[in-house]
Amino acid sequence: MHTEPEQTAAMPAVLAVAGLRKSYGSVQAVRDISFTVQRGEIIALLGPNGAGKTTTLEILEGFRARDGGTAEVLGRDPGDRSSARELRERTGLVLQDIAVEPYLTVRETISRDAGYYPAPRSVPEVIGLVGLAGLERRKVRTLSGGQKRRLDLALGLIGDPELLFLDEPTTGFDPAARRDAWQLVRELRTAGTTILLTTHAMDEAQALADRVVLLSGGVVVADGPPASLGGRDAERARITFTLPDGYAITDLPLPAEAANGVVLVETGRPTEALHQLTDWALRRGTVLAGLTVDRPSLEDVYLQLTGDGALAGAPERTT
Amino acid sequence: MTTTVVPGTVVPGAVIPGRPARRRHSLGMLAHQIRYEQLSFWRNPQSAIFTFVFPVVFIVIMGALFGGVGKSSYFGGLSALQYYVPTIAALSVLGSCYGQLAVALAARRQNGILKRVRATPLPAWAYFGGLLAHCVLVSVVDIALIVGVGRLYGVPFPSHWLAIAATLVLGAASFCALGVAVASVISNAEAAPAVAQLVLFPLLFVSGTYMPINSELLNRISGWLPVRPFNEALTGPFAAHTGADWRHLAVLAAWGGVGAVVAVRRFRWDPRPE
Repeated sequence: MHTEPEQTAAMPAVLAVAGLRKSYGSVQAVRDISFTVQRGEIIALLGPNGAGKTTTLEILEGFRARDGGTAEVLGRDPGDRSSARELRERTGLVLQDIAVEPYLTVRETISRDAGYYPAPRSVPEVIGLVGLAGLERRKVRTLSGGQKRRLDLALGLIGDPELLFLDEPTTGFDPAARRDAWQLVRELRTAGTTILLTTHAMDEAQALADRVVLLSGGVVVADGPPASLGGRDAERARITFTLPDGYAITDLPLPAEAANGVVLVETGRPTEALHQLTDWALRRGTVLAGLTVDRPSLEDVYLQLTGDGALAGAPERTT
Repeated sequence: MTTTVVPGTVVPGAVIPGRPARRRHSLGMLAHQIRYEQLSFWRNPQSAIFTFVFPVVFIVIMGALFGGVGKSSYFGGLSALQYYVPTIAALSVLGSCYGQLAVALAARRQNGILKRVRATPLPAWAYFGGLLAHCVLVSVVDIALIVGVGRLYGVPFPSHWLAIAATLVLGAASFCALGVAVASVISNAEAAPAVAQLVLFPLLFVSGTYMPINSELLNRISGWLPVRPFNEALTGPFAAHTGADWRHLAVLAAWGGVGAVVAVRRFRWDPRPE
């Protein structure tokens, strides 16, 4: 169909917030947050504790009332009680804290919630998706923390949501369970689910998200794909190597600085710079030991944007 | 018909089926919720059994103490056990509808279960409907046990079952509303049993649950509080063979209304205050 690109362009955002504000007493948890989520995207709200991630998520989930700004989820206002039930039917929620009735079995817990939705997924399918197969008849109270978390995830999926909210979904998972959960999130996206998750783990944001919204002190400090967040793809590359014996830093063909015998060249044109440097070394029959080229990592960008030098962070709120 | 599901893979066709699907009928939703509320309750046999053991032990003790006391003016012209069967029946309804509900809701809120419920499309009325049905069911079993034990002590079966049923349902609903109201104003689960009991215990005493009160003034005051009208409304059809006691039921319903208003305005699902 030729109309497809136009349809995509005209498609309204699944979720949009603008100028969001929320205070708890004198603490401004959310000062000014704006972002949008398109259908089929995985968006990570990344930031340190107290950055406003969970508050933002809970406003979108309808648990908290915003003080100001606009919010729209699947075309509805999450603060409007009259659309609450419809939104719940079309969204899946996985909350930060695990809370499941201790005396029901795994299957009973999921079947109960399935009955709340107009078009739920099948219970065995969801049990398989979250990796609880074989544990259907176990009482919830006998499950491990990680297994309870999977059950929580199952409850978020059972309604077959168009939009899934995940609040720190892999906290408490061992590395293997974490990989499985990431795989599941990717598969859900492939199948058409839009996903908004919060995390303070950079590797999680990098591995999963199509776009990262980096929060600090209740404001958005960066918004973009993980590979180019904070303009890190456009940042100057850093070339480092050990200064060859018998040469001074001023002998190099490029301006450079040295610390402890390691030379650092920052450049916007790494290809050219490397050529000049290696050409210089080869002509003199010497080598550039420990030669590396890199760019700021996501972690560097994160620390730079959320650290002490960045906007004054809001006081941390214990949860 | 079985569907084979490969673990760890999303079945592509299963994700966007024929939306929009139809919502379940309200009564179906309520029945579903009642079923699972009952399942959770009976799955914890210790707590289930103690719910029923307490009123039975109480009536057995009263029978042992006063079993031989015949009709007397002290008990308002009734035998001692004729007096205690309805008041202890009322006590058991209070215990399950008011006391246990307030404590259970405070605990469920504190450990996040209420918030998790709120994260699903289950309407609040269906959730509370499930709890009310549970409370009525427990009350019915309690009353049957108490009436049965009373029969062993020679108390005749009541004859006005319809009046008893009406009184029971209205009483259960009113005390449930009060239980939810108390759970709404309690801030943490540890305080819940103490607060619930603190309110209830003096009320039971002045309302004649443990012994008849022969003070005109006290009876007049307690007549406007929730417990005494419920005792009276049950004593009529139980012992005096009269029908439903609408005057006392009206007082009870008014308290239920107050409880419901507080519950609706103040009830919180989230363990953390806004």
